[in-house]
Amino acid sequence: MMNIFRWWWGILLMFLFLGVLRMFLPLPFMNEVLIFSIYTMGCNFLLGRVGFISFGQPAYLAVGAYATAFYLFYFGTNAYIGILLGILAGIVVSAAIGPLFVRLRSDYFALVNLALAVIMFYLFEKVLAGITHGDNGLWFLTRMSNTPVLNLGKHSDFFIFVFILAMAIWAFYKYLDDSVYGACCLATKINEDKLKFLGYDSFKIRWLAFIIANTTTALAGSLYAVYFGFVSPDFTSPHRAADPVVVTILGGVGTLYGPIVGAIAYTGMKDLVSGYIANWELFIGLLLVIIMLAGEKGIWGTLEPLLAKIIFRKRTGSGLSKNGDESL
Amino acid sequence: MDTQLLISGVIFGLSIGSIFFLLAIGLSLCFGLMRIISLDQLLYYSVGAYLTYSVCAVTGNAWIGVLVGMAVAGIVSFIVERFVFLRIYERDITFTMVASFGILFAGIGVIKYIWGLAPRPVPIPIEMQTTIFGTEIPVYRLIVVAISLLVYGGIWLFLNRTITGKAIRAGIEDIDHVEGLGINVYRLFTVTFIIAGTLSGLAGGLHAPLIMVDPVMGLEVLPFVFMVVIIGGLGSIKGTLVSAFLVGQVISIGSLIYAPLAQMAPFAIMLLILLIKPTGLYGSKLLKR
Repeated sequence: MMNIFRWWWGILLMFLFLGVLRMFLPLPFMNEVLIFSIYTMGCNFLLGRVGFISFGQPAYLAVGAYATAFYLFYFGTNAYIGILLGILAGIVVSAAIGPLFVRLRSDYFALVNLALAVIMFYLFEKVLAGITHGDNGLWFLTRMSNTPVLNLGKHSDFFIFVFILAMAIWAFYKYLDDSVYGACCLATKINEDKLKFLGYDSFKIRWLAFIIANTTTALAGSLYAVYFGFVSPDFTSPHRAADPVVVTILGGVGTLYGPIVGAIAYTGMKDLVSGYIANWELFIGLLLVIIMLAGEKGIWGTLEPLLAKIIFRKRTGSGLSKNGDESL
Repeated sequence: MDTQLLISGVIFGLSIGSIFFLLAIGLSLCFGLMRIISLDQLLYYSVGAYLTYSVCAVTGNAWIGVLVGMAVAGIVSFIVERFVFLRIYERDITFTMVASFGILFAGIGVIKYIWGLAPRPVPIPIEMQTTIFGTEIPVYRLIVVAISLLVYGGIWLFLNRTITGKAIRAGIEDIDHVEGLGINVYRLFTVTFIIAGTLSGLAGGLHAPLIMVDPVMGLEVLPFVFMVVIIGGLGSIKGTLVSAFLVGQVISIGSLIYAPLAQMAPFAIMLLILLIKPTGLYGSKLLKR
């Protein structure tokens, strides 16, 4: 009972924080943070739980984005169906290539995944240029019809949609972490032999984790597609391959709040710093090196013990929820 | 297919392969010996290229530029090793990978700050053309191939004929035994890192006249260099040479046959090789650790 309470409390607190941020920060920034955090959650799961360093996430991002884009550009106008198709494509693609990939371990997995991202890039840019329009990309912003309940073409409605979606996904990962399956995932990373000895099939566990994580990434891709109303091969560019890994580590590997904190920090720094000077890479790069040298825990990993100390000291509960109601 | 086109394609592939070899050899040694994925090699590559550009603009001689670039790249790699990698060798491979990525990013930022965003051209040091089987071939490309073969010979001699080199080779196979013999492995790491950085600088300097020098040039060759390392097998010098030339040929011949496939085909080959033989062509029992 206590556990369930803290479960929801954690989710609500995080999303109240995001809701408060929404009041002060511009809408496009918040939208990008939310989509980026969905993008990163999958990677965080792979890296923190299963021990896969995935440098190929852009490939799955592009799968989702292009599945949505094909539907919206060629066939229909309903953005909801587009997003569903994106998820479906993510499941199909990652289930198909999963068995080949999950046999490999850490560094090799990273490299083969990177190779996949590059293959996808050239596939979408050159080989399928007839359908994808190559570098010009597909524009369909005006083709999307108004959707019921929330009109995804409007940025303010889109924010609410992504907000709820991110919350659901976050809760889902939280649930996974607490379940037996989550423990099994962690066990494949730490001691595979023992897991096999206990009678679990480590291959299937990793395969499922691979599918779950990459479908989340594909979902982020289709959200990007709907949000911008545009897809181009840039989505899968190998230059951006490290982004999710970087954000994951920036936020704190394996922690639940990590992806969101990392996404806020990364997007924020990119926007803020690039507003003043042209090269934000210098700052991000130095920051990464410093974080790696300092304690490999990331921002949230460092903050969490501090926050826990503060919260547990004055943990009355009522004060917090009252503040929360006001801010929503 | 046209014979002349084919010959020039092969020469082009060889020269590209040579550049990849020089870059990949350092990455492969670092990978094999220290278990770090040293993405920052691509930074030393850019440093070499930019210094070649600058020195060439001042003195008018690209060869001096290449030498200066090599030296500076070596020094930068030594500093980076001292201040960053020495502190994180013990940690998980993810952290060294991300740290090296951070160094690469920060380095790109510094390069943008110093040289600006615009691509810079470097004049080809030797304009001469020679004729092979009735095909005009730029001599510079042949020199690049010759230099990389010389470097291969030099590295081979170093690894097989000197004590330090033998220790490095042994370290790639089993680092614990080497340490047990009383050899300071951290000194070996430093030596390997400086060699890798210097060779990356050389690759940058030699590649500069063939392309435009721009801040993200490192990121552009990154996937190909990775691929060369993986196809060849970690820590294997011969494997790296073979796979570098293989990848170079696939890119250049592939672009003659069907342009879009040229960039993709090497990756498909890499995927195939990895799925059949996860250690690469010449990799030994390096996967188990």
